[in-house]
Amino acid sequence: MAEGNILGPARNRVDGKAKVTGAAKYSVEFEVPKCAYAWPVDSNIAKGKITGIDTSAAQKSPGVLAIVSHLNAPKPKEPGAKESRDSGHGIRNEERVPFADNEVHYAGQYVALVVAQTIEQARHAARLVRVSYAPEQPLLEMEEAEHRARKPSKNHDENVQLKTGNVDAAFADSSLTRIEQTYSTPTETHNPIEMSGTIAAWEADDKLTLWDSTQFVKGVQSIVSRAWNLPTENVRVICPFVGGAFGCKGAVWPHVLAAAMAAKAAGVPVKFHVRRQDMFTSIGHRTPTQQKVSLAATPDGKLKAMRHVTNTLTSTVGQFTESAGARSTGVMYASPSIWVEETVFPVNMSTPTFMRAPGECPGSYALECAMDELAYALKMDPVELRIINHADNHPVKNVPFSAKHLKECYQVGAEKFGWSKRNPKPASMRDGELLVGWGMATKTYPAHIQGAAARVTLKADGSATVQCATHDLGTGAYTAFTQISSEQLGLPFEKIRFELGKSDYPFGPVAGGSNSTATVGKALHELAEALHQTLAQLAIKDPKSPLQNQNPQDISMVAPGRLGLKTDSSKSDTFIDILRRVRRDSIIVETPLKTEQANKNWAFQSWGADFVEVKINPVLPRVQVTRAVSVINCGRVVTFKPARNQIIGGVNMGIGMALMEATEYDPQTGLPAIRNLADYHVVTNADAPVIDVAFVGEPDFTFNPIGCRGIGEIGIVGAAAAVANAVYHATGKRVRDLPITLDKLI
Amino acid sequence: MNPFAYTRAASADDAVNGIAAKPRAKFLGGGTNLVDLMKMGVEAPETLIDINRLPLAQIEQLPNGGGVRIGAMVRNSDLAEHALIKSSYPVLSEALLSGASPQLRNMATVGGNLLQRTRCYYFYDPAFPACNKRNPGSGCGAINGYNRIHAILGQSDQCIATNPSDMCVALAALDAVVRVRGPKGEREIPFADFHRLPGDTANIDTNLAPDELITAVDLPAIPFAARSHYLKVRDRASYAFALVSVAAALDLDSSQQIKAARVALGGVAHKPWRARKAEEELTGKTADELTFRAAAEAELAAARGYKHNIFKIELAKRAITQALSTVAAVS
Repeated sequence: MAEGNILGPARNRVDGKAKVTGAAKYSVEFEVPKCAYAWPVDSNIAKGKITGIDTSAAQKSPGVLAIVSHLNAPKPKEPGAKESRDSGHGIRNEERVPFADNEVHYAGQYVALVVAQTIEQARHAARLVRVSYAPEQPLLEMEEAEHRARKPSKNHDENVQLKTGNVDAAFADSSLTRIEQTYSTPTETHNPIEMSGTIAAWEADDKLTLWDSTQFVKGVQSIVSRAWNLPTENVRVICPFVGGAFGCKGAVWPHVLAAAMAAKAAGVPVKFHVRRQDMFTSIGHRTPTQQKVSLAATPDGKLKAMRHVTNTLTSTVGQFTESAGARSTGVMYASPSIWVEETVFPVNMSTPTFMRAPGECPGSYALECAMDELAYALKMDPVELRIINHADNHPVKNVPFSAKHLKECYQVGAEKFGWSKRNPKPASMRDGELLVGWGMATKTYPAHIQGAAARVTLKADGSATVQCATHDLGTGAYTAFTQISSEQLGLPFEKIRFELGKSDYPFGPVAGGSNSTATVGKALHELAEALHQTLAQLAIKDPKSPLQNQNPQDISMVAPGRLGLKTDSSKSDTFIDILRRVRRDSIIVETPLKTEQANKNWAFQSWGADFVEVKINPVLPRVQVTRAVSVINCGRVVTFKPARNQIIGGVNMGIGMALMEATEYDPQTGLPAIRNLADYHVVTNADAPVIDVAFVGEPDFTFNPIGCRGIGEIGIVGAAAAVANAVYHATGKRVRDLPITLDKLI
Repeated sequence: MNPFAYTRAASADDAVNGIAAKPRAKFLGGGTNLVDLMKMGVEAPETLIDINRLPLAQIEQLPNGGGVRIGAMVRNSDLAEHALIKSSYPVLSEALLSGASPQLRNMATVGGNLLQRTRCYYFYDPAFPACNKRNPGSGCGAINGYNRIHAILGQSDQCIATNPSDMCVALAALDAVVRVRGPKGEREIPFADFHRLPGDTANIDTNLAPDELITAVDLPAIPFAARSHYLKVRDRASYAFALVSVAAALDLDSSQQIKAARVALGGVAHKPWRARKAEEELTGKTADELTFRAAAEAELAAARGYKHNIFKIELAKRAITQALSTVAAVS
């Protein structure tokens, strides 16, 4: 195990004190003079037309400044849906501009927005607005939308309908052991503690500032500026802290445009803090899936064929789809034949979006449960089955995986967990009266990298401010980027101030797809080179510098804070001396945004293994996860503590997915019946086990110069399957429909 | 939230006079449920009469072995941790501690808990057009809707909501008495008569008159209540309402014969459900699993489930059996 090579220092969070003292300001906490408050009126029908909006009582209510609806909304133009994440143009998964017309596409759609001087006044007046509808029969179920089903060929840039080898022949071969099962996952909702929200302030007819809780300040800037036909820089977006996102703040949702519309209509800045209940309908969710997984293997466990057919829902005003098969079966194991299909059914429900490991998460649940079923059918240990089918090369792209240490994950995980003591027979292990189950699953998530730019202001006192329009979703990004800046620039950690979350800063892409650390890390590497070259240029012209008249190409950082000759380190000079001698208080260096070219010779993917123990009272079978081991191979770990937090959070979210999370809808109105944090169950502390996290492997310098791959999403992948497999081991009952609530085990 | 007036009552009489004069007023205790419902637009009182300063926060032993009197303003956490309650009525302490979260229990009062309203999705969210409890005559959205948390006993075709309180299940088992004060003076309401079944008046949860103030809850002396237990079955380990809960106490003689039994169920009905059929079935029998299961079967014989909650019938039987087994094992 090469932990020493991959683990960065266990830094405390640089923003920790600001957060626990309340000094950290989240987007809707900013105090903007004369700010008014918006409160929405939601549709309570799923499809139809608005026939009238009676605002007479609401208009007379105290404090009301404006009531915005399709009848009067100051309309931005359709900014177009740009799904491509590296476009820099922002993301809109719901393609309809709010209040565009009188059409209702889903229950919970904003149909009007009341703006008043206080939030209480706005809330009260919103209740006085009377909306009348001509309802139409909505499509709410997959079966009802059959006639509108479509098979998308791509999701972003990747193929999602895959076919290699001869799957049919393998499934026809009766000498093979075959498994075919259907698994389902329900709608899940992100529910970060900080709800989405936007303050919109028009400083002039053509100048707008947005304080927006977002994973993509530059994307919001691009979309909003195009919507209002403004020069990009006339829209400023500010978001220094995000209180959790999990994907629901990656796209621009209706409330962002609506806040700007309302501020225009009311003539004052407007704060639109999305209500918890609207977090279930207006900012996306993980769409439900039905997945049929078929596997065929030789008696000694070698996979010969894998088939993964996914059906999912999307809305009638969006395209988003959950590519469960392509992102699990399409990458996980070495199989000579793979067939992945994906069909999406548009229904009159709110628009889904990416939620932590979109595709990989539900896909790995189905695949990794099927692998467990195959292991039982073969009478083989599930870890051994996975090792037998280990993929050295990407099974579809047929290029080698870079710095893959999955076998080590299995080995370290099994050892830490005590897997060798497992009696594979279902319902065979007990703790007193409790049934004990041990399950495991493979984890994987692709390593993404995009283009980013950065700026540094180095002062003669040896301190520096580094800026990039990237984001900290509560993940510890501030700390990670401070650490990378310190190493790359060659300055003490304490002397770095890293600033993010402002569209004024150099470009940072969406904080999604676990790309930020790798992406911004690379930008900081390039920034350091640019800074060192700039300092070298000053030094070589300085008669007092030991580096005078040297070739700048021969100069590099030889020690932290010191430039020297690559060939003769006795000739060196410090950053501080270089600046002081030329009497500069500071210098500013900025790198340009470059498009990141994909390295097609390699497949970049992070890996891991989860081992989980459950205990179940056989009479009242609520599943309790009692311990978990999660071993991760993600290249270099920049800062250990936040990285470990990410894995713990991801595994806990996977436990929630396995056991309790589900957004249930009323079958008659199409409204979510579950839309608050009392009824939408996420794991509480009492549900969360001690999770032993370990990192293995080596820095992945093929991927990027920092050697790190992403870490935000892999934590959740596979965790639900590991729990479900443990439940089977404990009880002998295979539950294939999440969540595994106790009624399914009675 | 509708605009409302706020006043503060200086005494119990002041509170009762205040509410008698304002029919659309409500008392404000901890506010953990009422304020939430006001924000949701379910409750819209014109006046809130704050009763937090009334001297009703004592827990006292009644003279001559007469039990315990709990003031209506006692906070749930104080009651749960009170030595007398923990030793003499552990079922009540356990029920309280299984409910909500520490923050909520620190605010929630005993009187308010008695008036806690259902968590039926269709009641709690005015976006749903049909709810006879919120809007009499509008129908029941739950019967053909999503009804996982709904009733299996005592429901009507007008309403299948459940009472969400844990504390009240224990109080039902303990034969508590609710003391109230109204314009005509004080009266006592036996606990079994405090909450109502929905019938065709689902909008009325209790038999408390709108102008009455709960001042205290009396627990009778039940020596065998020291051998009691509250079992809560829910969808996660903490901070979830009961799918099914059981408050149970057993009076056993030295040969494990049941002299008396108390069983009440939560999460299954519009009111805390005193399981008298089960109690009858238990009395005089040997305390063993067969007896417990037979009692559970007898109690649930009349149960009826719906699409998403049919499992509760078997779950309730198991929970009763398990809770009684646990009580029987208490030495």
